Amino acid sequence: MGFLSPWFFGGLAALGVPVFVHLLRRHVSVPMPVASLMFFAHGTQSSTRHRKLRNRWLFVLRVALILLLVLAFANPFVGRSTVDENGRLLLILLDNSFSMRAGSRFREAKREALTLLAAKPHAQRAQVMELGDRLEVLTQPIADDAQLRSALESIQPGDSHANFAELGRAIRASAETQRGPIDLNLFSDMQRTSMPANFADMILPGDATLVLHSVATGVTPPNWTVESVEAPTQLADPKDPQRSRVHAVVAGFGTPAAAKNISLVIQGKVVAMKKVDVPANGRATVDFAPLNVEYGFNRCEVRIDGDDAFPADDASTFVVRRSDPERVLFVHAAGDARSPLYFGAALSAGAQGSYILQSVAAEQTTNLDPARFTFVVLSNTSTLPPIFEHTMEQYAAKGGNVLIALGTDVFRHGKIPLWGGNVTDIHNYAGANAATVASVDFTYPALAQAAPGRANGGWAETKVFYAAAVVPGAARVAARLSDGTPFLLDRQLGEGHLLLLTSGLENLTNDLPLHPVFVTFIDHLARFLSGSERLSGSTQVDSFVQLRGSAEPVGEVSSVEVIDPDGHRPLSLSEARSVQSFQLRRAGFYQIRFANGRDAVIGVNPDRRESDLAPISEDVQKLWSGNSGREGQPVPAAPAKYRPVNLWWYVMLLALAAALAEMLLASGYMGTQREEV
Amino acid sequence: MQRFLDPAVLAGISSLELLAKTVVDGFVAGLHRSPDFGFSQEFAEYRAYTPGDDLRHVDWNLFARTERAYLKRYRGETNSHLMVLLDASNSMLYTSGSPHAGPPRKMDYARFIAASLFYLAIRKQRDAAGLIVFDDEVRDCVRPSTRLGQLSRLFAALEQAEPHARTDFGKPLRHFQNLLHRRGIVIVISDFYQNPEIIVQAMEPLKFRGNEVVLFHVLDPQEMRPMLKSSAIVVDLETEQKIEVIPEYVKTTYREKADAHVEQLRSRTRAAGMDYQLLLTNQPLDGALREYLSLRQAGN
Repeated sequence: MGFLSPWFFGGLAALGVPVFVHLLRRHVSVPMPVASLMFFAHGTQSSTRHRKLRNRWLFVLRVALILLLVLAFANPFVGRSTVDENGRLLLILLDNSFSMRAGSRFREAKREALTLLAAKPHAQRAQVMELGDRLEVLTQPIADDAQLRSALESIQPGDSHANFAELGRAIRASAETQRGPIDLNLFSDMQRTSMPANFADMILPGDATLVLHSVATGVTPPNWTVESVEAPTQLADPKDPQRSRVHAVVAGFGTPAAAKNISLVIQGKVVAMKKVDVPANGRATVDFAPLNVEYGFNRCEVRIDGDDAFPADDASTFVVRRSDPERVLFVHAAGDARSPLYFGAALSAGAQGSYILQSVAAEQTTNLDPARFTFVVLSNTSTLPPIFEHTMEQYAAKGGNVLIALGTDVFRHGKIPLWGGNVTDIHNYAGANAATVASVDFTYPALAQAAPGRANGGWAETKVFYAAAVVPGAARVAARLSDGTPFLLDRQLGEGHLLLLTSGLENLTNDLPLHPVFVTFIDHLARFLSGSERLSGSTQVDSFVQLRGSAEPVGEVSSVEVIDPDGHRPLSLSEARSVQSFQLRRAGFYQIRFANGRDAVIGVNPDRRESDLAPISEDVQKLWSGNSGREGQPVPAAPAKYRPVNLWWYVMLLALAAALAEMLLASGYMGTQREEV
Repeated sequence: MQRFLDPAVLAGISSLELLAKTVVDGFVAGLHRSPDFGFSQEFAEYRAYTPGDDLRHVDWNLFARTERAYLKRYRGETNSHLMVLLDASNSMLYTSGSPHAGPPRKMDYARFIAASLFYLAIRKQRDAAGLIVFDDEVRDCVRPSTRLGQLSRLFAALEQAEPHARTDFGKPLRHFQNLLHRRGIVIVISDFYQNPEIIVQAMEPLKFRGNEVVLFHVLDPQEMRPMLKSSAIVVDLETEQKIEVIPEYVKTTYREKADAHVEQLRSRTRAAGMDYQLLLTNQPLDGALREYLSLRQAGN
């Protein structure tokens, strides 16, 4: 309790008034007449008796009235804790990343979080979040303990990779909208691999206090895991010695040298087992060949036999789809014999796919049905038979992919089939001014290279002599020439893709077919256009799968279907008709039916960084929590903030009550007051 | 009828005559139910003749039948003189009540008594009545008479009798003796705040002259049993002297002194052959009237 205006306490001097009225004033009484003093004698009141207060209740009320008035003007207040309004927000973050499945980490973290929640003052607001690859908010800032507890108990261990950078970003964003300080309690195994490359990404806002509750105590347990698996997503010939093989890397984190049995499991059956010596805290590779799989989708798994501290990461799943070689339609100009030659050679040299190229002149395409081909290449064709062009448009709208390579014929006529636009200009780089492919988007699937390396992944060594200038419009430019001219464009048409190469494939308008990057480019391009890599293989948890080509489908709307590893359908019916992409959040095999009607089975594996259970060093943890340099000291409690609640009205109400009581009592006294002799 | 004798009720009557009539009529109506008292000229008794008796009182009819001389005596056959001595000192102003409630002032109560006595004496008994108003000297005097208008004069004198000064029995009593030529009933109405010895000494000459002397001691009830909640300053109405008194004294010593004073006054007056009657101002007036009638009867 405080007094905002203590000077008003000077008003307490007014307390002397009732004292004077009730005590002193009694002495100055009016002399009472008597008939005679004959029987009277002089007497003096004793001091004690003399000063005895009269009308005590009235005196008490009057004193109380003055006291309350003085208190009211002194403006007292009580300091009410502001935790219930704009006070500290208790933020409980529970890490449910894949590594929390190790041992009893998740159970302990959850128990500690529940304990903290139970100890929370009832009025304090709290918010529960779970930390995976992103920060998921489970409750709003509320004080309802039951709801908070329910939200906390609903958190289950996931398969995502924790990302402290995402945590820092989300808290910083939250602090901009959330007024007041934040007490952030993170219950995690504090995995080192969850740290971003830049520590600054983890930094929390100034008014956030981070308290780390690490459940990874003691020595980091040794853990072996299947770090990576290279296997064909599509296999046409199991006896192909180059392609029918599985290459797995087994890694140990904090492990001694050990011999581990590695098994290859296809459709639930162990088909091969090999023993490898894994060096201490190192890696070992193991190959399984040939890969005898049946037609259709084969759910495969590379597994490390023998338990360790983290059994959940001992297997890596992937899917191999066995099918006959897929046919590719290559439409070229009548006099162009080079482009199908170069393209076919590159296609057959590709490591992943197995395709049969059917090249045909543009004039002979009238009766062809492109739906029988996995994708179509239009090379240097300025004109197509109208029936085939119409068929191609329907083919693309239903999900068919087409590569359009320009060439001298197109340059001459200026018309680009299917694309919806024409050549606006011809760039002639002949001679010493040959352009190069200077800007390449390696994230584009057809140009994907994990490590482009020297000379821009080989693209810088190519020379382009002629290139057509087109207006990109809504198309994505995946590569540009050195003068900025778009070299490779991608445009969505219905469910299908149209890829436009503004130069040719025939070694006349550029020397790309002569460079090794051409093989890689065609290989990736074929896989992208055929969509085979979307139909099988493996991917990481939290990656996205594009279910349909565009949000506004052309023609009849078809539903997509997703069946998760537990056999559930995570998409509702309305979502199945509208959703464009889906995030694979669980480890295991997902069955997917795309909007173009093609089925896929994909093996989803957790991020293998989660297998490294080593926690962040103590110093870094302290640095992060802002407690560096105060080793051994507990995190100081933030000074409690109080909101002054004014008591003026309450005191004045009491004063009013005292005044009323005084009036009633005083009227009673006055009504009976009379001379006392 | 008793309520008409209540002083508090009488205080609301402004006319003394009406007040006196109310009191006396009520009082007489009560007497009719009493077999002990009568005041008409009726036969009282026979007494044997003794030498020296007036022969006019001999019942000759009885002498003729019995040849014995008896005197026939009647009650009320003689008129009395009533003289009221009214103390009009300042102490008679005291009252413990308010103007509209409680007992009247002692002076008013004394007026009521005097007026009632005058009415009873003149209208009912056909006695001569007079009034002397005094304090430390004689302020007013109405000689006893039975003449027409005497009652009005007495009432007017009572109306004009306003208290002054202080009481002194010695000085005015010398004048009383000069004023009272005939024997009669002398009623002194006062609060008698004086030494009983002095009072009796002052009244004794009246008694010696053959008068029946009655002292009507008028006091307020608070004067006998005062209540004081705290120490207070009291002022004498006559001398205006102030002293501080305490409740303990008032509760104990004062009452003892007051009781002793009344008792001493009562015993001294009776010892001197006088009657004494203590009248509290909250009591009905019939006590005073009854005392008068009994004296008058005894006087016959």
